[in-house]
Amino acid sequence: MHLIQRMKVWKDLRRLEQRAREHPSPSTFVDLGQVYINLEMHDKAERVGEDGLTLFPKSTEMRQLLDCARRGLRGKKTAALRAKLTRSPSGKLFRELAQLFVELGDTAALHATCQEWSIRFPDDPGSWVVQGQAQLMNFYRDLAAREGHEAVRCLQRAVTMDRKDGQARRLLGELLYRIGAVRAAEEHLEAVKQLTPDDIELEALMHHVAGLDDYGNDIDALLQDVERHGCLLHPSLAAAPKPDGDEAMTRARGGLSQVAEITGVRKATFIRGSKALIKGAIRDGRDPFLRVVRVVAKAAHRFAKRLDIGNASKTVVDCDFGHVCICVYGDVLAAAQCDRGTDLEQVMAELQELVAGALHSVGESHE
Amino acid sequence: MNKIHDAVADLHRLPGVKGAAVLTTDGMVAAQSFDKTMNSDVVVGLTSYLMMTTKRTLAEGGLGACSQFVLHATNGKAVFITLEDSYLVVVFDQFADVSQASKEVQETALRIRRASRLG
Repeated sequence: MHLIQRMKVWKDLRRLEQRAREHPSPSTFVDLGQVYINLEMHDKAERVGEDGLTLFPKSTEMRQLLDCARRGLRGKKTAALRAKLTRSPSGKLFRELAQLFVELGDTAALHATCQEWSIRFPDDPGSWVVQGQAQLMNFYRDLAAREGHEAVRCLQRAVTMDRKDGQARRLLGELLYRIGAVRAAEEHLEAVKQLTPDDIELEALMHHVAGLDDYGNDIDALLQDVERHGCLLHPSLAAAPKPDGDEAMTRARGGLSQVAEITGVRKATFIRGSKALIKGAIRDGRDPFLRVVRVVAKAAHRFAKRLDIGNASKTVVDCDFGHVCICVYGDVLAAAQCDRGTDLEQVMAELQELVAGALHSVGESHE
Repeated sequence: MNKIHDAVADLHRLPGVKGAAVLTTDGMVAAQSFDKTMNSDVVVGLTSYLMMTTKRTLAEGGLGACSQFVLHATNGKAVFITLEDSYLVVVFDQFADVSQASKEVQETALRIRRASRLG
């Protein structure tokens, strides 16, 4: 592009930016984003798409623009990663590149990358995990037995290569329970629990899985059944019917009593949304302990989110009088105030059990 | 100051530790050592926010001062220790055993306390 053309484009850009500011509408944002995409400035197009989506959250064109800009960005990133891999190949770079191909939905490129990855790093199970992940996405979308079978094969291979690969075991466990192989799934989830005992989401998932019916270990037959019927046998944890507020509170009451009975625990609470249960030396809902718990949990949540380390699930604060222990997941929170010398591991384990128990639905209400 | 920096750098060398820093209660960094992948400014800013919020709410609730704060998240862990006029923050990866590393963290806190008094 020569100088005059470039000046013309910049002039157009300024005009479009001004139009988007003065007369914001989906079409003005799309026009502006399209110019940025034509100029290969996908980062700016992404910003325009995000701004536009904030103003017009229901606009399909805005979503398409954002999707197009992000695909362009991923394409650029792919090229940069390819160049890096040629200079200094590593498992980490292969994983990043393969993940990008998964996001782009480029199956052929993903397959080629994983093939190269497993040839260069034959002991790295990562290539099998990513391939399994991609096959899983296809299986969950189409419910085709062949893809499910491929996903199981890839993930099982990754587990055989590294018995401690938590991601492969978790993905495999989730797939197995959803097609009905509940006992087989539990073995994998139990192994993941040994690796990450603090994972509350996993514990809730295990509670959810424990309440499901087992249909045996014949994976091929189960996958064929899923394909024939066009639906998975068991719902995911997120899609499972949640216990209603009152039911969850009733269930929590027993757990909270157990926490309060631990030697050294002075106060214990279980909070779900705007409802709270209390045990111990708490007078009423205005007890400062309840406010401390809410504020500290919220601050810890913000810290973890902004530092990009996921959800803050457990917090222990040591103060002059003893400890405040908090366990939180989603809108469910359980906390205890304890004296010095209290068995904190036991307190945290009970709180975790309490929160995980409130998250899953095992159909107790139907029994 | 070098002693504080050495203490923080030693802590960073422990397995599972992604970084550590000493910051004053108003958020000024005295010493820090983080992995290249971590944004130290973000850690320091967030630590200041978290500790100030916790300190204030504990005081308002009549629960006294905060001496230590341990946070477990899905993909990482963090320990915050209140020193005299500063905080020590240590960030771990998700696989680190914080209770096992506790001894080293407490020793580092002690080293920093001594160095601050001498300095």
